Amino acid sequence: MSVASIQPTAPEPIIGTAGIPAINLDRVGKNFRLDARREVKAVSDVSMNVGKGAFVAILGPSGCGKSTILRMIASLDEPTKGTLSVLGTTPADCAANHRMGIAFQDHALLPWLTIFDNVALPYRLAHLKADPGRVAQLIDLVGLAGFEKARPKQLSGGMRQRAAIARALLLNPDVLLLDEPFGALDAVTRRQMNVELQRIWSEQRTTTLLVTHSVDEAVFLADRVIVMSGRPGHIIREVAIPFERPRHPDVMRTVEFHHLVNELTEALHPTEGTGAP
Amino acid sequence: MNSGDGSMAKNLLTGAVGVILFLVLWQVIGAYRLAGMGWPTLTSVLDVLATPSRFGTFQRAVTATVRSVLLGYVAGFVMGFGFALLGHLWPRLKVGTDQTTAVIHAIPAIALAPLLIVFFGLAATPIAICALNVFFLVYNATSSGLLSVNNTHGDLFTAYGANRYDRFRWLELPAALPSIAAGLKLAVPAALIGTILGEWFGAPQGVGLLMVAAMQNFQIPMLWSAVLLSVAISLSMMALTSLIEHYVSHRFG
Repeated sequence: MSVASIQPTAPEPIIGTAGIPAINLDRVGKNFRLDARREVKAVSDVSMNVGKGAFVAILGPSGCGKSTILRMIASLDEPTKGTLSVLGTTPADCAANHRMGIAFQDHALLPWLTIFDNVALPYRLAHLKADPGRVAQLIDLVGLAGFEKARPKQLSGGMRQRAAIARALLLNPDVLLLDEPFGALDAVTRRQMNVELQRIWSEQRTTTLLVTHSVDEAVFLADRVIVMSGRPGHIIREVAIPFERPRHPDVMRTVEFHHLVNELTEALHPTEGTGAP
Repeated sequence: MNSGDGSMAKNLLTGAVGVILFLVLWQVIGAYRLAGMGWPTLTSVLDVLATPSRFGTFQRAVTATVRSVLLGYVAGFVMGFGFALLGHLWPRLKVGTDQTTAVIHAIPAIALAPLLIVFFGLAATPIAICALNVFFLVYNATSSGLLSVNNTHGDLFTAYGANRYDRFRWLELPAALPSIAAGLKLAVPAALIGTILGEWFGAPQGVGLLMVAAMQNFQIPMLWSAVLLSVAISLSMMALTSLIEHYVSHRFG
């Protein structure tokens, strides 16, 4: 399949932080109310930019507030403090204009729709005329050709996650949000999915924010890795990842890769010892 | 597959053994008058049911009752479903619809019957009580079903910018279908109870009327025949709604 048929416009160059910020967080904080008297600080004073066409990963232990950041960007939670903009507007406006693609740890496919109809769902929600050719191409791109008429429960966990990724890419989103999309998969499938996501991403170059607790995943996929520490969640480290794209899986065997993984694991470690449940 | 078929056959067998035991027990209790004059033998009841001269009576009664049950069932479904949608799509009305439904349900049908007779007449009262019973069950099944949406699905629709109508049409309604189908199955016995109760008050025709007439004339086998007929109506409707429920929960669950 040709790349041009999926993405008619030329891909944006990777410019990382140097570009126009597609996502901007300025001293964002989020508190959750437990009861009348107690509040828990999930995120505190987080400032960051994701440039147009960049792939940024947020890495952190469970409960460090990284998913909360993604949820605020996706308009699913409101920040308590600070300001947050997506494509120069509010997250809610960005969602209402159907410019986001999102995938969660839970595939969130609708059990009553076929794989084809699940992938095509964003057309319905955006009131756009469905392009069956594009749906078929995306299903092919994520390696699910032949399963168009299957229902989600007939597929394996990895295949459902592929369908969720295809759905997230359908409308050529300006911002792609991935919240631990492979977190529920076994290690082998997860690695395979990372390789495929990297391939797909290198073809599409959509601005992407990935939330993960896997160091390998973050280093292999992202241009920049932001390390967070927990309770309340804040940024402790940012590391640029220098590998060329498209990245071959062999990158994961290089000394440089291992060096980066070690460095990031080291940065995570103190947090894991005290903060993680 | 084999073990599945095997366990199904085993279930059918166990069920058949249970039914046969029950029928034998019935016959024995009737034959030895163990439960007094009110318990006839199974064979005497079947005799009555198989009497050609009574076919016309039975047929008219069953037709009238089935008609009332179906009309009441459909009317109750439309009202319960519609009322639940109203409360769901306009959340301000929800408290009102919940309370109205609860109040209607709290009134015993037997107390409401004289009113219904005044309003609708003797012939339509079975339909009205049936509809009220079905209404309550369908209202509850629909309103709880519409709220049973999976959280991640809800988040997905928000992030993809779904409007209120699309969220209802593509998410909440399909997610509610298994609950609604379960409610429709539960509503079958309630519909039959309502209809027969309504017929007791003097409907011109129906199985309920047959029961009252047989009881007043102490035609015990006839009374039991009427009971068996109502059981047959109930079981066939249950079988149909079970099939629907099975399909819907498989497809939308």
